[in-house]
This record gives sequence, C-alpha cells and structure tokens, in this order.
Amino acid sequence: MQLQEQDQFQDFHWMIEMLQTIDVGVVVLNKEYQIKSWNGFMENHSGIDSKDAIDACIFVLFKDMDEFWLRHKADTVFKLKNHAFSIWEQHPYIFKFKNNRPITGVAEFMYQNCTFIPIKDLRGEIDKIAILVYDVTDTAVNKLEAIKVTEELKQLSRTDVLTQMYNRGYWEETLVGEFNRFARTNRVSSLVMLDIDHFKKVNDTFGHQAGDAALKMVANTLTQTLRDTDIAGRYGGEEFSIILVDTDAKSSIVFCERLRKVIEKSEIYYAGKQIKLTISLGIYEVHTKLSTYNQWIEGADAALFEAKNSGRNQTKIYKYKDH
Amino acid sequence: MTQAIKFSEDSRDCLQEVSNVAMGRAADLLARLLDVYVILPIPNVNLLEISELHMALSSLEDSESVSAVCQGFIGSNIAGEALLIFNDTSFSDIAELTHFKGVIDKNIELELLMDIANILIGACLQGVSEQLDVKFSQGQPVILGQHIKVPELIKSAKKRWKQTLAIEINYTIENRNINCDLLLLFTEDSLSVLKDKIDYLME
Amino acid sequence: MALPIIICDDSSFARKQMNRALPENWDVDVTFASHGQEALDAIKSGKGEIMFLDLTMPVLDGYGTLEVIKAQDLPSMVIVVSGDIQPEAYERVKKLGALDFIKKPVDREKVTQVLTQYGVIG
Repeated sequence: MQLQEQDQFQDFHWMIEMLQTIDVGVVVLNKEYQIKSWNGFMENHSGIDSKDAIDACIFVLFKDMDEFWLRHKADTVFKLKNHAFSIWEQHPYIFKFKNNRPITGVAEFMYQNCTFIPIKDLRGEIDKIAILVYDVTDTAVNKLEAIKVTEELKQLSRTDVLTQMYNRGYWEETLVGEFNRFARTNRVSSLVMLDIDHFKKVNDTFGHQAGDAALKMVANTLTQTLRDTDIAGRYGGEEFSIILVDTDAKSSIVFCERLRKVIEKSEIYYAGKQIKLTISLGIYEVHTKLSTYNQWIEGADAALFEAKNSGRNQTKIYKYKDH
Repeated sequence: MTQAIKFSEDSRDCLQEVSNVAMGRAADLLARLLDVYVILPIPNVNLLEISELHMALSSLEDSESVSAVCQGFIGSNIAGEALLIFNDTSFSDIAELTHFKGVIDKNIELELLMDIANILIGACLQGVSEQLDVKFSQGQPVILGQHIKVPELIKSAKKRWKQTLAIEINYTIENRNINCDLLLLFTEDSLSVLKDKIDYLME
Repeated sequence: MALPIIICDDSSFARKQMNRALPENWDVDVTFASHGQEALDAIKSGKGEIMFLDLTMPVLDGYGTLEVIKAQDLPSMVIVVSGDIQPEAYERVKKLGALDFIKKPVDREKVTQVLTQYGVIG
C-alpha cells in the first residue's frame, strides 16, 4: 500500500518536473483572473517568480496587458466551454516578453500563439482556464520578412529602372483594369500617348547619357503634373503613356498642353551644354464601341502620329472611327 | 498505393446525420454568442478528389471575396483539417452583433473571424468526436488569406492526397447578411478508420 | 390494437436510430417517411397518431409540416426530434403546436420520459 503511494508520488513528481521545464508557457487562471499556476517558461521570460505570481491578479501583474481582449477571450471559454486559439497575426502577444536573444533576435518582443483550455473542477464545472503560450517568434519573423520581400519584388517588377515610373507590363495591366471599369460603370477616361520630339538627335548629338537625362526630366515633370488618380508609365523608348481617370478628351487637352508648355520652357544642361526638348501628345477618349483595350491604344497612337506629322510640339485628339 | 475507398449510400447518410447533429451544436453556441437564429442547412457529405475541392465549396461563387482560416485536428487515427470561409461582406453585420464600434479594418476582421472559427470549428469537431466516440486535439489555426477570391483559396490547398472526404456546412444567419462555409476535410488515411466507426454506429 | 406512429426524417440512419430508441414492448405500427409531404399523406390515411418529426429536410421541412398540421387540424401529436438545438428552434416548434422537443442524438431514456410525461405510455 505504502509502495503504491510512493509510486504515485513519483509519477506526480516527474510530471510537475516536466511542466516546469517544458518550453511552452503554462498559466492557469481562475474566474477572478488570479494566477493559479505559473510554470518555468513563464518565470524565465517574465522575470516573475512563481511565488510572486501565484494568487496575483494577472492584470495587476501585467499592467500593459490588453485586459479587454483577454477578458473577452476568457469569457467565451468559460461560457461556451470550448477551446479558443489566438495567433500572432491577430494578436502578436498576450504577455509582452522582451526578445532576449542577442544573435538571432531580430524581433523586439516574443510573438506568441496561445491556446485557451477550459478546466473542470471535480463536479464538472468550469472554474479555471489554462493558457498555453507558444513562442513563435521565428515563424513570425520569417513570414513577415517574406511578406516584405514579396512586396518589394512586386514593386520592383512594376518599375522602370531609369525613370522610376511604372513599366509597360504593369501599366498595361492597369489599362486593362480601367478599360473593364469603363465597361461596368460607363465612367469616361482618356488615354494619352506622349513622345519626345527628335529624341534620336539628342542621343546622337550629346550621347546616350544625355538621352537618359532627358528621359528623366520628362518623367519627373510628368509625375509632378499628374493628379493622384492618374496612372502614367514608360511605354517604351522615349514614349510615355498616361491614363487620365474620369476625364474626357476636352479636359485632357488642358492637362496635355500644360505639360507640353512646361517641358518646352525647361532647360537641361548636360556636360555644360544646354539641351532643349519638346514633346508631342495624342489623346483618345474611351468609347463604348471599342471591343479591346488595344484599339484604345491604337487610337491614341494615331493621334500622336498626327501631332508629329503636323509639325510636332503639339497635342492632337483622335475621334472615334470604326476600327 | 492505397485502394480508393468507397462509401455506401448508407454510410454517407449516416455521416450526414452525424454532421447534422454536430453542426446543430455549433450553431447553438453561435446563436447564444450573437443572440441570433442560425439557419441550418442539410450538410453536404462528399467523397472527392482533392482536385475537385471547388465542388465542395458549392455555396460560394468564384467572384466572391472571402477570408479563411484553417485548423488541423487529429485523434484516434483520424486526421484532417477544418476550413472556415467567410464571405467578406459578412463582417459589418458580425461587428454589429458583437457590439463592436469603430472602423472595421483587416485586423478587426481577423479578430472576428478567429472568434467565430473558435466556436464553430471547436463545437463541430466535438459534436463529431462524441458521436463517433473518438477524441480530437486541435492544432493552431492558420490564416489562409484575407480578401481573396475562391479560386486563389483552392490553389493554396496542397494536393498531397488524392482522395478526401468533405463535409460542407453552410451557415447563414436569419435577417442578416452573414454567410460562412465550414468544411471538414479528412485525410485519405483516415477514411478506412472513419468507415469502421460509421459501420459500428450503424449496427 | 397497435398504435400507428410515424418516424419522419430524411436520413435513413436517423430513422433507424429513432426506431431503436422507442420504448421496449411498446405496441406500435411504425410508418417511415423521408420528408414532410410523405408524413402528411400518412397522417391523412390514419397512420400517424404520434409522429417523431425532424426539422431540416428537403421537399417539406419540419416547420412547414407543423404549419400544415396546425392549419388543417390533422390528427397527430408531434414530437420534434432535431439536431437544431437553438432555443429559438424550440420556441418556434412549440408555437406551431409541437408537443415537445427531443435533442439529437436520441436515446431511449429521453423518449420514454417524454412519452410518459404526456401520458402516451403508462
């Protein structure tokens, strides 16, 4: 009989030992939010000894804890008697533990996933809950890093390196979006194609680096002239393209002419030499009869061609014709 | 390679009834929490190839924007994943029912999604496990995505198994614009055990 | 003479389970129906003095069935047997004239208790 008791004591002892050393936080709370159990993990990370933690109210011990949130979570566990989970994406941590790893610790604090478990007393009533606290800092940091990198890559894949404007691929995607939006909402917008006049001569006379400087100047001026809703991109070579959202052809002229005059007046100096630039522009307002976004581009291109043929440094509008 | 398991019409019917009782319990908890009446559908029980997963999501349109969490469960040689998919248009009504005031951003939506997932997944699994006399433990939930389209969601499902048993329960709330789909998917390896449990129940 | 009763549920498993939960030695003549419409037809031909009725069913669900029974004053005492255990479901079927409500999964003890309570069995 006595031997059996000793065995039971032994079992109890090693289970407690395990609970103490396990690399997961174990906290037991009663309905008054007093701490009833506080294992080694919690002691080590909080710096609070279990003799100080036991019977203390958790909100008194952790003043900056999100009390409202924790009560809400715990209440549903008490009331509905089911498990509840919280993950770091939703709530980065319950217990704010500093990240104590000098070498691998990139995060400021420990990210935690937590499980809330209802605990029954001997009569089968739920009178306590256990909170298991898992350190998921590594997973969280990796995932956040991956999201950041994906975002950066996305940005990079959309950008033209020289002008820092949208590249043709991404710009065309937005044009498709705008074209479809028009089909749905019938809200008008205009497409502008812009080309630097005699760009080849700039390159031939002053060199390619001067050409690059010219492209940058036009890109900067264009970006500054745009409204927030307009979408511009480098279409290719010395050609730029702009979607003027919610703007008809007539109003587009105002924008185009302002831009054309600013560039006409601008001077760039390259290696001590002054370079003067002009641009030609073609406008095409979207039309219900257009069946593809390509026809929209073709129309704006045709207007640009007409501007070039009429002596450059001017804006032309394309009128709808059957394609 | 494991032989494809076949479920007789009787087994399927039995599992449908088990799901029916389990989803009723989950709905009861949700009703109490939100103080609403939850409309219960007839659950869909299907044995399907993973590539046909979209067929299990019959009540969701491809064009709908959804948010989803997923939670693994395992016990008594039965394992699988529970998937809760919310129509994004549901969140404003849920926020209202939970007396949340303020701007509903992505974080708040996640909070609401997790709250409902805890209740529905937990209660439904408990309902199934009690009837089949098994015990499940649940893993940590994983967010599959917020504001994504149904085809993107399906794409994220890894096609590691060929066959799966899918139980689909579509919850709607009376007089409210709240619509969510709870999906229980069982691994291929679980199917024979599950079949034994059902056979035992039908004896 | 055996008492004519109906067990109405779309699931054959649930019908069997209900049948097994009936009190032992209760002299009954059981008719099975897989939806509300079948059940109504059976009641009209005198086969359902007592009916155990599920709520979620195709064709005609439990609520619809109760409505018809009430409107046409059909001779059947209905005990709802359902997995829909929301308090509201209970109130609704009571209002529609159901005698009582038994939560699924059914067990013999509960069925016996309800039948005893309403004096159906001694």
